[in-house]
Amino acid sequence: MIDIPLALLFTSILGAVLAGFVCSTMGVFVVRMNLSSIGYCMSHAAFAGAAFGLMISVDSLISAMVFSFGVAFVLGPLSEKARLESNVVIGFLFSVMIALAFVFLNFIPGQAASGAALRILWGSIFSVGYNDLMFLLLLSFVLIFFIALFYKELLAVMFHRKLAESAGVNTKLFYFAVLFFTGFSVSLSLRLVGGLLVFALIINPTSTAYQFFYDFKKIMIFSPVIGIVSCLIGFWLSLITDFPIGASIVIVSAALFAFAIIISPKRRKGNGKQRKMGFKLNT
Amino acid sequence: MNVIDLQNVETIYEGESIPVIHNINLTVKAGEFLAIIGPNGAGKTTLLETINGILPYTAGRGFVLEKEIPIYKTAIRKEIGYVIQNFEIDPLAPFLSKDIVMSGRAGKIGMFRFVSKEDWEIVWYSMGLVGMIDFAHRPIGRLSGGEFQKILLARALAQKPKLLLLDEPFSNLDFSTRRQIEKLLNRVHEKQQMTIVIVSHDLSFIPSRCSRVIVLDQGKIIMDGEKEKILTSTMIDNIFHKKGVNQ
Ligand SMILES: Nc1ncnc2c1ncn2[C@@H]1O[C@H](COP(=O)(O)OP(=O)(O)OP(=O)(O)O)[C@@H](O)[C@H]1O
Ligand SMILES: [Mg+2]
Repeated sequence: MIDIPLALLFTSILGAVLAGFVCSTMGVFVVRMNLSSIGYCMSHAAFAGAAFGLMISVDSLISAMVFSFGVAFVLGPLSEKARLESNVVIGFLFSVMIALAFVFLNFIPGQAASGAALRILWGSIFSVGYNDLMFLLLLSFVLIFFIALFYKELLAVMFHRKLAESAGVNTKLFYFAVLFFTGFSVSLSLRLVGGLLVFALIINPTSTAYQFFYDFKKIMIFSPVIGIVSCLIGFWLSLITDFPIGASIVIVSAALFAFAIIISPKRRKGNGKQRKMGFKLNT
Repeated sequence: MNVIDLQNVETIYEGESIPVIHNINLTVKAGEFLAIIGPNGAGKTTLLETINGILPYTAGRGFVLEKEIPIYKTAIRKEIGYVIQNFEIDPLAPFLSKDIVMSGRAGKIGMFRFVSKEDWEIVWYSMGLVGMIDFAHRPIGRLSGGEFQKILLARALAQKPKLLLLDEPFSNLDFSTRRQIEKLLNRVHEKQQMTIVIVSHDLSFIPSRCSRVIVLDQGKIIMDGEKEKILTSTMIDNIFHKKGVNQ
């Protein structure tokens, strides 16, 4: 166990809670809207961006956002139309981003190089600064406000995009809003959880919540709760074992997910038929 | 007033070069009850989605409620209830039936507005119309095909639309449920003066208040007239049994 000052302990715990909140809240939308691969790509772009920031000595938060939004800007319109090439482009961009990230990490100047590089790779509780906290807090409030205000539209879009569109909802707006907030969430959580693992914090808690509930409102509440709990337990685990914090958070959230799969009432046999409905007649 | 007015409309899917529907001229007056019939792949779904602007037409002009479709599509859609042809729903989908019915009102209520008590009353009322009140708290993925279809119909009715577009609403219903929904459509048409367009490839299931039938084949309207005349014409036989009259 490492000895750390109380103030630092407090900032890092708060950071973990907020990162858990924003990531696993966005996860609800990312998972349901099938944006996993694009979100995956965006979080690796944020990783490359952070590395780039370290290399040219710019705040890595800003460069992470620039990279992540850049990817969303390219991929958003492509995968919105479900074009065939979007998967190809995602695969391509994903590998490019990882490659770039390692090239940038390699060129980080100065002595702190290896430490800083490792931090954005694996995440570190020491890299959560006051500014990050403020931004995370702001983002959390904006997200709560956004979801409360547009709950009915979001639910309609999550259920079926074309039907939502046909009822007069501007689905494009919400699609891009989700990408936009995802970009913010991964960029802000990156330094805590680490560039390689941040996306797990988006997917795992949400997938866990999906195992238990049929009511969208409950998923909307429990996904962030599970995210926060994962982050807190992960934090504690990292303190007592000296694991990198990102890795322990992801291990915890993955363990919760595995556990959820096993005890999920949705997957239990004999609990009603799982019907796949809908067939296109004669097509 | 014309609820639908299409003039020489043609629709090409993105990335394709051949129009799926072409030279479509169609006017539908307020309060009409119309059936569109045609074999698989004739372009029925395409025509419906051109009407509500989901698919942009590539030639001609189209108006709904006297508003040009591409310009006013969001406003128009709030007045159009759409029951989509069957689609696959994830059995684990995290939505309750009542929330899906409410989602039909999402556009109509408008941005920056919250769902009110009256909205819920409308939702309960339309679930009652299709006889699905008892299923309100059921997860949507755990309904049978027919139940799901009724929820989708309730969803469209909850929108209180001026125009109702139904794409094969009977495909998963058993005989008695079909009769029930037919009666419901007749009643909605009579009481609320709703304009209804129903797509079907089952000639025997056209609700009794439906007076006009349009036959679509290979993307063209080849017949348009009174139900009795159309259904007894010999051409229908050709289309549905040999597929295609033009060759
Ligand atoms: N997204 C698409 N892209 C390209 N072509 C399409 C698309 N959707 C449909 N088509 C083509 O357009 C034609 C008409 O399709 P449409 O779905 O309108 O037929 P339909 O009359 O509704 O048939 P069904 O009775 O099977 O529902 C078909 O030949 C189909 O292959
Ligand atoms: Mg069809």
